[in-house]
This record gives sequence, C-alpha cells and structure tokens, in this order.
Amino acid sequence: MARLTSRARRRPSRTAATGLAAALACAFAVWTGGSWYAVARDERAAFARTRDEVLQAGEQGVQNMNTLDHGDLAHGLDLWEESATGDLLKELKDSRKQFERQVESAGTTTTAKVLSGAVTELDERAGRARVMVAIRITVVAADRKSNTKDSRMLGELSRTPAGWKLSRLGQAPVGDAPAPTANPSAGTPTPSGS
Amino acid sequence: MSTTRHLLNRQRRLAAQRPPVQRAADPVRRRRPNATAARPARTLLSWPLLLTALTVLLAAFSVLAYVQGGQQDTAGSNTALADTARTSEVKGVVDETVQGIFSYDHTDPARTDAAAARRLTGAAVAQYRTFMGPVREQGPRQKLVLTTTVTDSGVEVLDGDRARVLVFADQSSTRTGKVGGTTVAAAMFAVDAVRQGGTWRIAALDTFQRAPGTPTDQGKE
Repeated sequence: MARLTSRARRRPSRTAATGLAAALACAFAVWTGGSWYAVARDERAAFARTRDEVLQAGEQGVQNMNTLDHGDLAHGLDLWEESATGDLLKELKDSRKQFERQVESAGTTTTAKVLSGAVTELDERAGRARVMVAIRITVVAADRKSNTKDSRMLGELSRTPAGWKLSRLGQAPVGDAPAPTANPSAGTPTPSGS
Repeated sequence: MSTTRHLLNRQRRLAAQRPPVQRAADPVRRRRPNATAARPARTLLSWPLLLTALTVLLAAFSVLAYVQGGQQDTAGSNTALADTARTSEVKGVVDETVQGIFSYDHTDPARTDAAAARRLTGAAVAQYRTFMGPVREQGPRQKLVLTTTVTDSGVEVLDGDRARVLVFADQSSTRTGKVGGTTVAAAMFAVDAVRQGGTWRIAALDTFQRAPGTPTDQGKE
C-alpha cells in the first residue's frame, strides 16, 4: 500500500511534466501553423512571390541575351533561345545563322552584369509581365580592347510551362524623336546620363 | 430446536443464494487484481509516452511551419506592386521629384532649388550637389535649359516607409548661349526613398558606381 501511494504520487508529476511539454508544443504549433496558414493564404504574399519569380527570370534572361562568347557560340545562343518565348524566340531562331556569322567574324566576347531591375507590370491571370533592367555590358574585341557601356533594357515576359520567359526585349528609346548622336558634354548632371 | 431449525433455514437460505452471488462475484474478483495491476502500469507507460510523442510531432510541425512561413514572409515583406496604392504613390513622387530636381532653367534657378530642398534628405543632398554643380556653374553663361523626363520607372522594393525605385530618364539640354543646340542624353539610376511625416523624400541616389567617362548606351533603336 505504501508503495502504491508513493508510485501514485510520482505518477502525476511525470505525467504533468510531459503534459506541460505537450501543451507548450501545442501552443507553439498553433502559433507557427497559424502564421504559416496566414502567409500561405495571403494573396498579396503569393503575388509578391510571383513578382520575385518574374524579376529573377527577367534579369537572368536579359543577362543571358547580353552574354556571348565567339568561341562558344552554339552554347551561348542555345541559352538565348532558352530564355525566350513567343515572338522573341522566333526572331532569334530566324536570325541565328546570320548572327553566328557576324559574331564569328568580329571575334567578340560579350559579358553582362545586371545592375538593377524592377517589375513594372504583372498580370498573374494573363501570365504577362513587364520588367526594366539596368545592365552593364562589356564587349571584348578580337584585339582584346574592351568597351563597357550601360544599357537600359525593357522586357516583356510571358508565363510558359517551363517558367517565365522573355517574349520581347529592347532598349529603352532615347527622346521622343529618334535620338541624335547625343553629345555627352559638361552640364548634363545625372549619374549615368553624362 | 427452534434455534437449530432457524439456523438450518438460514444456512439453506444462504446456500441457495450463494451460487449466483459467487458466480457473479467470481469473475470480478478474478479480474480485479489483474486490472488494478495493469491499469497503473498502462497509465505510467502510455500517458507520458503518448504526450512525448505528441510533443515531438507538434515540435516537428512547428519547425516546418516556422520555416515555411518565414520563407514566404521574406517575399511578402516587399510589397512593391502587390500594394498597388503605395506603389503608385511612391512611383509618382519619385518621378515628379526627379523631373523637378534635374530640370533647370537659367532664368529661374530658384525653382530647382525649391524642389531639391523640399524633396531631398540625408545623403541625397550632398550627392545632388555634386551632380548639379556643373549645371549651376555653367548654366547662366550657356543660357542652359535642362529638361529631365522620366521615361520608365519601377519600384524594386517597397517595405513600409522605405522604397527603392529604378529610373530611366531622358535629359534634354538646350543651350542658347555661344554654343547652341539641343542634346538628349539617356540616364539610369536608382533612388532610395523614405517616408517621413507622411511625405516621401529621396534619401540616396545610386548611380551604380559608374566609372567616370563610361558612355551610356544611347539606344540605337
């Protein structure tokens, strides 16, 4: 009988300890699970994720299409086509042969670095988006002379089964009228504009 | 004898009652020692064990939920484009400000100063002075009119009262002094904006650490 009571006294304390741990775990699970649910359900957060996806694809695509080594043309141009869809892809395929010849004879190697990028439009339902990307392009000529220039790119992306891809890409036009050979002279203040 | 009879009767009565009583009591009595021995044992083993298993499962779920929720939260804290009202608000202010502070008319330099004073804060004040120095110096002599037009802008990050906006702008400068003519130049830069007291202001200008003398591609299209 003495044994039983001592065991009975010990029993609740152990149960209580595990019970307390379980209760704490339960409370924590409710809290984290609740916030997970809230975040997953939040349409705005889902939209933000898509936006980040689009920007990533846009920046990568722009970088790919400004990267080309004359010694590894096939691989480089395959990457171009991989980043494109729709009209842009058709355009690339149509001009590929001619372009290959041009780059081969020029012997240039082009590398690019994305400076900054932003999604300006995103229509999730239509699967269309627009991005703007600031990029720095370095062209190394056959004589090893290198030339670096900054470029303002505007792209349009479409959603494909294989992810977001560029369906249109071009440089932001300068001026309303076709820009004259702008003469960078003193007096033009902005950063990249001089 | 009455007593004996009485006793006998009592015995008989009891004997008659006994079997059912015994039968009913028997299984209970046989089971009870087992049950009393097993129940505390099962309680001892199963309750803490069950609770421990529950704790482990819940903890595992919590970790998963925390990681998942946290991952999605990082994308969620940037509300650029997702928060349409705020996005267009900051975009509008930045467009207007950039056009205001980077435009200059030699007949009315005060207007540019006013725009700069109203909309610039922090590091942007000194950066702006460096950019506009040459304009201030040569403007009056060249009779310079500089007009900056934002052609494209996009909000990269919008997080509460902070934002980063990428800007593509055209700058047309017209000189009517000795050296005449109009030139258009392309510009691109990013702007850090902060909201102070309900007003968005430009806090920094990011020119992408451009090496001096690097020509901006003028766009051949």
